[in-house]
Amino acid sequence: MSEYIVELEGVGKSFAGIRALDDVSLNLKSGEVLALLGENGAGKSTLMKILGGIYTRDTGIIRVFGEEIDEMTPKRAKELGIAVIHQELNMCTHLTVAENIFLGRELLRSGMLDDREMNIRAAEVLSRLNIDIAPDTVVGTLPISKQQMVEIAKALSTNARILVMDEPTSALTSKEINDLFHIIRSLRDQGCGIIYISHRLEELQHIVDRVTILRDGKYIATTRFCDTTMAEIISNMVGREIKEKFPRVETPLGRTILRVKGLNAGRQVRNVSFELREGEIVGVAGLMGAGRTEMTRALFGADPKDGGEILLDERPLRIEKPMDAIEAGIVLVPEDRKKDGLCTKLSIRENVALPNLDILKGALSTVNSRGEREMVERTVKNLSIRLSNAEQNADSLSGGNQQKLVVGKWLAREFRVVLFDEPTRGIDVAAKAEIYHLMNDLKTRGLGVLFISSEMPEILGIADRIIVMCDGRVTGEFPAGTATQEKILECATRFEDKLGLAAGD
Amino acid sequence: MSMDDSKSPSRLGRLFAARGMGQVVTAAFGLVILCVVFGILNPIFFSGRNVGNLLRQIAPILLIGIGQSYVLITGNIDLSIGSVVGMSCMVSATLMTMGMNPWVAVAVTLICCLIVGVLNGCLVAKFNLPPFIATLGTMTIARGIAQIVNNNYNTDSIGPAAEGFRNFFYYGRLGGLFNTIWISLALWLVFNFILSRTRLGRHIYATGSNKEAARLSGVDVVASTTAAYMVSAVCSCVVGLIVCATSGMGTMDAGNMYELYAVAASVIGGVSTLGGQGLLLGTVMGASIWGVLQNGLQFAGAPVAIRNIVIGVIVVVSVLLDVVVRSEKRRRKRERKEEAKG
Repeated sequence: MSEYIVELEGVGKSFAGIRALDDVSLNLKSGEVLALLGENGAGKSTLMKILGGIYTRDTGIIRVFGEEIDEMTPKRAKELGIAVIHQELNMCTHLTVAENIFLGRELLRSGMLDDREMNIRAAEVLSRLNIDIAPDTVVGTLPISKQQMVEIAKALSTNARILVMDEPTSALTSKEINDLFHIIRSLRDQGCGIIYISHRLEELQHIVDRVTILRDGKYIATTRFCDTTMAEIISNMVGREIKEKFPRVETPLGRTILRVKGLNAGRQVRNVSFELREGEIVGVAGLMGAGRTEMTRALFGADPKDGGEILLDERPLRIEKPMDAIEAGIVLVPEDRKKDGLCTKLSIRENVALPNLDILKGALSTVNSRGEREMVERTVKNLSIRLSNAEQNADSLSGGNQQKLVVGKWLAREFRVVLFDEPTRGIDVAAKAEIYHLMNDLKTRGLGVLFISSEMPEILGIADRIIVMCDGRVTGEFPAGTATQEKILECATRFEDKLGLAAGD
Repeated sequence: MSMDDSKSPSRLGRLFAARGMGQVVTAAFGLVILCVVFGILNPIFFSGRNVGNLLRQIAPILLIGIGQSYVLITGNIDLSIGSVVGMSCMVSATLMTMGMNPWVAVAVTLICCLIVGVLNGCLVAKFNLPPFIATLGTMTIARGIAQIVNNNYNTDSIGPAAEGFRNFFYYGRLGGLFNTIWISLALWLVFNFILSRTRLGRHIYATGSNKEAARLSGVDVVASTTAAYMVSAVCSCVVGLIVCATSGMGTMDAGNMYELYAVAASVIGGVSTLGGQGLLLGTVMGASIWGVLQNGLQFAGAPVAIRNIVIGVIVVVSVLLDVVVRSEKRRRKRERKEEAKG
């Protein structure tokens, strides 16, 4: 038996004639954490779905614990001790924690479900992982980050020897990330092999032993993490050196466009005040749950406000519904583009036209289809959205192009202020760079850009001014030059009292 | 603070959060109020004779409600229920008028109905047809079979040979209660046990809650969905037999609209039309509210039209109430969480 517990050799997979994986190899040793890196669409998830038996490979060899596996199914993978924690939460939200953990392998006593035993065992797993959740809590009543921890507990409860984690930290708070890393390290020390997929490269240094990089469905390189540098990893991922990671553009600051005074909306937005000037990108930093998304939603009129003043060009505005904001020239690019940003089952053309039907109004309130086509062509060209046909459904686009489409539908009309909520989440490095350029472009056109991001490097690299939120309040403000990660983090954890600090949520 | 948040619900609180026990209690309250109101309006409402009749009215609605609840919990819907009732009634009656032994006829009928159930399950779970469309199709087919089986006529009387059959499903009594009531109670116990205590039941909830998650956890979602449609078919079959025994003949339009009555019983009892949530105890409440309204309003002299309107309002209000309560709960929970955080 070789030293590897998982060996994938020359794995290939096509979907409808398009090659998703081409001759990809990957090896995993016992007792190591292997980072599987690549841009979106590089084939990481496909490869892991093949390992987990969800997809079947077209070519190649899979060996697990030295044994060649002909046909991999989810069941077979489970028997072999492979557990995959998927990127999307996959919980039955109506069932309890214990019911989810034991789903598909329920414990029985004389033919009946043994809920007592399952609750006890689930409690053991949870306490072993230091997760403080009662096993008979209904999963849907837990916050997303806790649900993610349950998902992890579920995978670990199978006594898996090979763990695949696909972006496990995206929904977690920093404390939970620390807990998770602790768990990963102890599993590694127990001899498990862990394949770790993440876009958050800065996390890797805490846990990763080796790195395997894919690009465009092809195997690129495997190196020991300590023998490589971040720049090398990134250049391997994108196939080119990125010299200027964050393109900053200097523009003269104009007048104040947007002034927010004492905005209140529930507990998540409390007395928020800031201003935004022409030709300025203001970054909003903070931890998850700091109330940044809620702030943009209240500002945009998507959620009700309890109080506060909003002035646009020094004139007070009443925003009670999104239409008020849009008419005034404030637009929102929401965090969850699939849920809030696009009608994914409508075509790209229809998505671009949707908020602009007032402009495209023809005779008898019909949609002016020529104007619509021109608008779509203009948008696609301006933003270089990569598509084969504007009649495709919006969800056929890649993540980065979807994000551009969300922005693009607003660009077709006049506006003064754009609120970007996590615009680069879950998109690849090249698409991120395009979003940065787009923001810079808006800035040089004299618009105001509010840029929410949880990734400090990009906020530091792009924003002209940074405000930090914590617990629904603004806890700090820095010009770009003087801000550092440490300062931002210090403000972002400035909770109201010690109790909150201890929870770290 | 999230730690407290996840720990805080008491055992009772967690029980109420699970599956929709809250709605069951609400429905039970509603039922008690209705009974009291009708009892005051007309004391005969509580007479032994009327209670017996009332229970006998409720029994078939409960049965089809059980079937529909199973299917709704998997996140689907069964529109074929009413037609399967009609088919069961016509097939069994036709076979009996042809001189077949009633119990053999019952077995044949059951098999016919199960075929529809399996077909529904396959179309929905295996071939991923929208359940509304798939069961709309089987609904029409089953009604067609109900019509064609006796050349587009209702059958003649099922005759003296079927007296045992009629006695079992219709006039027989045990311990003072009509057999119909015992049959539905027995089936309720069996199906409630399956849903709450067995692996299949758990898988039915999981399928309705998150099909993909269930599948990835090794749940055979095709099997669990098909099983739910089969339960629905069995329940409809039994109701068809009851209808046949009651009228002593096969009627082609038996069970008309029953699929929607079944949805009403389920929904009033707190079964979610979105899947994953609901208790058969709730279906009992829903079917009882349905029966009490029909019976009570009839006593109060309300015409059929008024009864229909009242029941329609009750269906909408019960779901509306649930939506309002749920969003209120969510709001309170959020506030509690934020309170603790601050």
